[in-house]
Amino acid sequence: MDEAFSEIEITPAVSENSKHAQWMKAALDMGEKALEHGETPVGCVLVHNDKIVGRGMNDTNRSMNGTRHAEFLAIAEFLQSFPKSALQSTDLYVTVEPCIMCASALRQYRIRSVYFGCANDRFGGTGGVLTIHADRSIDSAYPVYGGLFQKEAIMLLRRFYIQENTKAPVPRAKKHRELNTAFDQVREITATNGVEVLPSSQ
Amino acid sequence: MHAAEIIKAIEPLKGSVVAIKTVQETRPLEDFADAFIAEINVKSASKVIKALDSAFPRDESLPMSHLRRFAKRNMIPQELLAAIEAVSPPDLHDGQTLFVMLPPPLPDAEALRKLLAQFAPQPRRRNSTTPPRPDPATSQPEAAPSDSPSAAQASTSSTSPEPQIPQISLVTTRVPIYPPFNISQADQWTKTMWPVVFNPAAPRSNVAPPPQILSRTREAIEPRAGHFLALARKVAEEAHTSGRGRAVGAVVVDPAIESELESIAWDKDSDPTEHWMDAVVAVAGDVRYARLEAAHKFNETNQTLGDETSQTTSGYNPDIEGGPDLHALMRAAEFIARRRRQEDEELAETPEPALPVVLTDPQLSNQLSPLESYFLNETSRLTLGPEPDQWPTSNLSPKKRKHGDSGAGWADEPQVSSCSTAPSTAPSGEKNPSARTEDGSCSAVDCNGDGPSSPGSRIRTRSEGGYLCTGLDIYLTHEPCVCCSMGILLSRFRAVIYPRTGRLPSGGIASEPIVRPTRDEHAPKEGEHQGEHREYYGLHWRKELNWRALGYEFVETELNEAGEGATALTKDGSQEDVIFHA
Repeated sequence: MDEAFSEIEITPAVSENSKHAQWMKAALDMGEKALEHGETPVGCVLVHNDKIVGRGMNDTNRSMNGTRHAEFLAIAEFLQSFPKSALQSTDLYVTVEPCIMCASALRQYRIRSVYFGCANDRFGGTGGVLTIHADRSIDSAYPVYGGLFQKEAIMLLRRFYIQENTKAPVPRAKKHRELNTAFDQVREITATNGVEVLPSSQ
Repeated sequence: MHAAEIIKAIEPLKGSVVAIKTVQETRPLEDFADAFIAEINVKSASKVIKALDSAFPRDESLPMSHLRRFAKRNMIPQELLAAIEAVSPPDLHDGQTLFVMLPPPLPDAEALRKLLAQFAPQPRRRNSTTPPRPDPATSQPEAAPSDSPSAAQASTSSTSPEPQIPQISLVTTRVPIYPPFNISQADQWTKTMWPVVFNPAAPRSNVAPPPQILSRTREAIEPRAGHFLALARKVAEEAHTSGRGRAVGAVVVDPAIESELESIAWDKDSDPTEHWMDAVVAVAGDVRYARLEAAHKFNETNQTLGDETSQTTSGYNPDIEGGPDLHALMRAAEFIARRRRQEDEELAETPEPALPVVLTDPQLSNQLSPLESYFLNETSRLTLGPEPDQWPTSNLSPKKRKHGDSGAGWADEPQVSSCSTAPSTAPSGEKNPSARTEDGSCSAVDCNGDGPSSPGSRIRTRSEGGYLCTGLDIYLTHEPCVCCSMGILLSRFRAVIYPRTGRLPSGGIASEPIVRPTRDEHAPKEGEHQGEHREYYGLHWRKELNWRALGYEFVETELNEAGEGATALTKDGSQEDVIFHA
């Protein structure tokens, strides 16, 4: 199963008007919507035959369900119009690397491939912490490409985490924090763990 | 059969609860580095420590407190002692010596020798018969890092060849840089490398749950675990016979209610397991096939549907497996969330139609099975007799007890702060048991369960401190899949429990193969046939992840004739060898 990756071509350079850029921008728009609604800003789109067939944003706060991540919402929308089997010819564009839960769900749903923006060092399931997309499993592996509009995805998250969480039991004052715009501390997404690196969006 | 009758008829599984190790325990992090060993005058030990600590400040990030700083000759492993004696023969000095260990990172050898020179062993008195001292230049060359843990290399000072006694000889040896996980590992290292201390009370940081919390929780859940797992199997059976899903079931339990039941039973001197069902806040079955079926079919004859889908359970066909959001665990989490959404008035008053989310019911949480409906809606109160006097007062409310007793709070759980407000709201709150019982028996409550102010649920509302599944335990018929295992963490469950016979190679919790005594040849050979073909993620507690839960397996002592527990409920045994995602 693991050999499947080597046969996938590395995605050509991402220019402003490439299709990959177009889809990831749509995912970033969903991330913006999540931010507007007080959700951790992660957004995604499902693309089938050059069309967006599902959109998702993080929905854990509104739903009060910690498992309602963007990927699940997009798949739910997808399944309203398509059979599950159509996911085998569908790609996911998501602003942040899928978490372990979503990485497994995407595999069970047999996604064709996953493109993500920034890595997820805390919960990442496609290279960040574990490599659920490539490990031994009863479902076939899928290729993952990271680093697409990475900075934009990170800035979304920073804009969220600089806010004070008024819903927290003990809100932490963050009045004096300034939005960090530097990227020198950001871990580079390396081509290890079966994750291909997309050329920078710039 | 009516749900209440099913529950009444439940025979608990018999067996014991065992903690599931973490992957850091089953695949311990071992790493070794070189340390210097020097022989010194026994009387200067404390001065040596002072001198070493000021000259070579310790690396705070690598505390080496598991390594003894000093060792007597009889504590040194044979091989190391031989290397030491090769460069520092014991008969050269007066025998009043001790060995000091300088942990990695290694300082400059020459600087160390100079520093320690004043503490060198005292020479043997002149009138004794001293054999000729071997020329240091002929012994082994300058210390080089050894490459195997057991190898030890010796070196002596090559810069002071004149027969000036005393002098310091340094020997390098491999030492473990991480503390031992258990006594036997400590013994092993002590015998082969350097004396190592095992400190069970030392914080193992994130590597494993604190042992006292793990064992206290195990003791607390063990009396009723067999009941909850038996109920989970009933829920699974319901899911299977309805044709909506595989035979997988989940039972969510509030340990705070459990400890309340315990204290009541203690006061009444009654069986603390008698009212086990009162601690169940929700049950959920697998519905992975239900998306394919039209919703109305569920209300048709179950038998027909059961037959239709019986073929699907005999194999794994991803196209008809639904998705993990239809798994029992994911639905259980959604039931609790949905309940809170309905109870959250604020949310109801300010609907956000512009919200770009799917507003349908992707997890079919509105299509409840009889058992699901029973526990979500119909059981409004504890089923104990109407004896308000027996109820604990509000300072024994679930939230209070939870933090006093069940020791769940190792993460930043919201309830910790809401706890202080609980007693003031308890007298009128729905969670107050005395309020629940004052108007009669359980069956008197008639609620549809969908109203925003339904008094039926045992699920703590947000204002009562309820947040996701914080502090709750989940009992499953099978080891949850990787997706659901991570869902357990993201939902902040306190603990996950499943029967060992419910292990699946696709699971995300187990951390090692089952080692089974081979005495009984009819015993399931699960470890054998699954062991080499799966990943062992141990997701319940991994140091890399921000959230962690306690993990337990239920080991049954009385398996039925087929030797199978969970899989036997399909009755035809067809599920036995099918690997799927639970």
